[in-house]
Amino acid sequence: MLSAQNLELTFNPGTPIETRALRGLSLEIPDGQFVTVIGSNGAGKSTFLNAVSGDQSVDKGSIHIADEDMTRRPVWDRAHRVARVFQDPMAGTCEDLSIEENMALAHCRGTSRGLSLAVKNEHRALYRERLATLGLGLENRLTDRIGLLSGGQRQAVSLLMAALQPSRILLLDEHTAALDPRTADFVLQLTARIVNESKLTTMMVTHSMRQALDVGERTVMLHQGQVVLDVSGEERSKMDVTDLLHMFEKVRGEKLADDALLLG
Amino acid sequence: MNFKSWAPLGAVALAIASMTGAHAADKSVAVTAIVEHPALDAVRDGVQAALKAEGFEAGKNLKWQYQSAQGNTGTAAQIARKFVGDKPDAIVAIATPSAQAVVASTKNVPVVFSAVTDPVVAKLVPSWEASKTNVTGVSDLLALDKQMDLVKQVVPNAKRVGMVYNPGEANSVVVVKELQKLLPTLGMTLVEAAAPRSVDVSSAARSLIGKVDVIYTSTDNNVVSAYEALVKVGQDAKIPLVASDTDSVKRGAVAAYGINYRDLGEQTGRMVARILKGEAPGAIKPEVSTKMELFVNPGAAEKQGTKLTEALVKSAAQVVQ
Amino acid sequence: MSLFSLLGAVEIGLIFALVALGVYISFRLLRFPDLTVDGSFPLGGAVCAVLISTGTNPWIATLAATAAGALAGMVTGWLNVKLKIMDLLASILMMIALYSVNLRIMGGPNIPLINDPTIFNMLQPESMEDYVFRPLLLLVIVIAAKLLLDWFFATERGLAIRATGSNARMARAQGVNTGGMILLGMAVSNGLVGLAGAMFVQTQGGSDISMGIGTIVIGLAAVIVGESILPSRKIIWATLAVVIGAIVYRFFIAAALNSDFIGLKAQDLNLVTAVLVTIALVIPQLKRKLSRKP
Repeated sequence: MLSAQNLELTFNPGTPIETRALRGLSLEIPDGQFVTVIGSNGAGKSTFLNAVSGDQSVDKGSIHIADEDMTRRPVWDRAHRVARVFQDPMAGTCEDLSIEENMALAHCRGTSRGLSLAVKNEHRALYRERLATLGLGLENRLTDRIGLLSGGQRQAVSLLMAALQPSRILLLDEHTAALDPRTADFVLQLTARIVNESKLTTMMVTHSMRQALDVGERTVMLHQGQVVLDVSGEERSKMDVTDLLHMFEKVRGEKLADDALLLG
Repeated sequence: MNFKSWAPLGAVALAIASMTGAHAADKSVAVTAIVEHPALDAVRDGVQAALKAEGFEAGKNLKWQYQSAQGNTGTAAQIARKFVGDKPDAIVAIATPSAQAVVASTKNVPVVFSAVTDPVVAKLVPSWEASKTNVTGVSDLLALDKQMDLVKQVVPNAKRVGMVYNPGEANSVVVVKELQKLLPTLGMTLVEAAAPRSVDVSSAARSLIGKVDVIYTSTDNNVVSAYEALVKVGQDAKIPLVASDTDSVKRGAVAAYGINYRDLGEQTGRMVARILKGEAPGAIKPEVSTKMELFVNPGAAEKQGTKLTEALVKSAAQVVQ
Repeated sequence: MSLFSLLGAVEIGLIFALVALGVYISFRLLRFPDLTVDGSFPLGGAVCAVLISTGTNPWIATLAATAAGALAGMVTGWLNVKLKIMDLLASILMMIALYSVNLRIMGGPNIPLINDPTIFNMLQPESMEDYVFRPLLLLVIVIAAKLLLDWFFATERGLAIRATGSNARMARAQGVNTGGMILLGMAVSNGLVGLAGAMFVQTQGGSDISMGIGTIVIGLAAVIVGESILPSRKIIWATLAVVIGAIVYRFFIAAALNSDFIGLKAQDLNLVTAVLVTIALVIPQLKRKLSRKP
């Protein structure tokens, strides 16, 4: 499904603030797999996600999604294969538009937009049905402006929007980081359920080692723009945070010093 | 959906309530100009003075109203509508945009235009003969051959005549087009410099340095309002300036054979009086301004590198020191 | 105020309602501050006037004017999207350029249309006065434009344009080609303004190079006054609001013109208009405050 080969990306090359964000990163994600990606600040996880989504273009390397070469394509031209939920709930929805209009926007993702009505009656039933599964009462508020919803509610709707079209890969960019613990939990449960139901290939970037191990079937750790750890299957299901830490220290020969990563 | 609209509705009610009473016996004249401007204001004052001389005094037996469009054609259109709705005995429209707005708004109310250089090109009247419509007026068209005569008297060997003007002003464009036809027959050429805003006058004048022997200007609004900038260039580069309005001579032009706009206004006022006394506007031939005066400024001539002949100075109506 | 003056205000108000609709699209929906309208309004007028005065059918001239406006809008959009010039700056550049373009098109600063055929005198019935028929026809045109826009912005394309203005990043993530949507939105917006220009020259006696000055101000005033009278995010109410705003704004000017009985003079016109508009903007706020008191 996703095939990233030898990605290299340097910010501000040749200047005093030059940052080599990706240094030959390669990752293959087969269809239907749920991968969590962790790493300390500056490890390159957000950069990698942005490279896959198209928000950032890489200097070297290639990105293939569902066998299509996406390396040079802009964000909107990849959208038929990529669905994304942003960290900032405000960034992932259009606050001026209503709930049903936002969903209609996501529903058209990947199709050519014509002059038929955006929010079709036959689709309304679908939107209501999906919103009802959230248990938040949103199915009765289809015409409300989405800006009236709380951050957690908007993230929940964003997840539904991401699952509306059979896109190939779902990118989750620390999507619970801006929420309070209870809401974060709710959204995480929702994520697991939706991914499972629609068998979506998913790549979830998270800042929390615990979250990374609790959800999904494979965990990848990035450090200094490369993949340094890749655990899945039985080995992974037996691990907890301290095990992960020791593994990291063995591989890199240095202690991990990021508090948020350890304690989160 | 709430209507929080009391203020605008209130304003509309206020407007409707402002119906002015009609005085059947008095005549009424409505005057509009596109913008406030010394020349155009002088026209308006001249109209009022001439009407008074003919027995129609504002406030006594004449209802007089004046509105300026503040330079905005949308406002000029609304003023035209308002005037036509007030049903005056005559509307005086000063300058081309105002005149066009008024003429487009009515085919019945008598319209007298003023300070319009070419009313035929502006389609206010079909020809220079009596129009047989509701429109007549007084034009400030200058006989350009006489203007060029003056230019040659000021700078006898002039071959290249420069002209600074606003390409957005109808009156000026008319003059430029005429000069383009006239000058070659006199063995001269026209060099144009465009000044779309009055602040552009200075740079337009400077672009003519080295390319012209004399700079001639019409009653262009931009040029007239920024004439001092032109004078500076004339003095620095020793290019004599010949203007079309006498006020500019006081400000530094070498000479001008021009219309006095107050006189133009009075000529217009006399035409309005004829209409108030019963003549049909369509029977009155459009007129051209008749009173021309020659002003000279020998001091400016010296500063700009030329010398005026004694004969010219003697023939002037006024010599500015 | 005479009936003539009243209908005159309505007539000009309806013309600027088209401008207000255009400004609503660029300013509110696309969040694109667009000064191109100061150039596309006279562009529409110039194209229409030149074509009519050289014998073209007024309907075709009007259509051409609309297309010219749309093209101007697209160029502004292109400057912003492809050449990455800041939106406000791109529109200012177009506004400046269009001044020269308009002069070229007209061959001079002014084209009068006094006895020429217009869509108004072509359709006018014998029984009706022209000053009654013109606002009527304009009303039909404005309503048609409003309904067309209401429908368009409810379609998939229209929704994509609204998303582009509301949250371009999210729109792109949903597969919307935001650059293309900006071009489309600007074309529709300035097309409406070009149409308004064509309406203006056919009712006010001709086109003049200065007719565009201040168009953006009138458009914005109409949008803001309209929104304070009829606040709503729903498109169908918002478009109605800006139409009402445009007409009300022209009423303010008409009221100001008729205030000589209070001793105000011609020079005070702009001041009076500003005061009336300010009152219109403040009263809704006052009403809200008063309704909150126990």
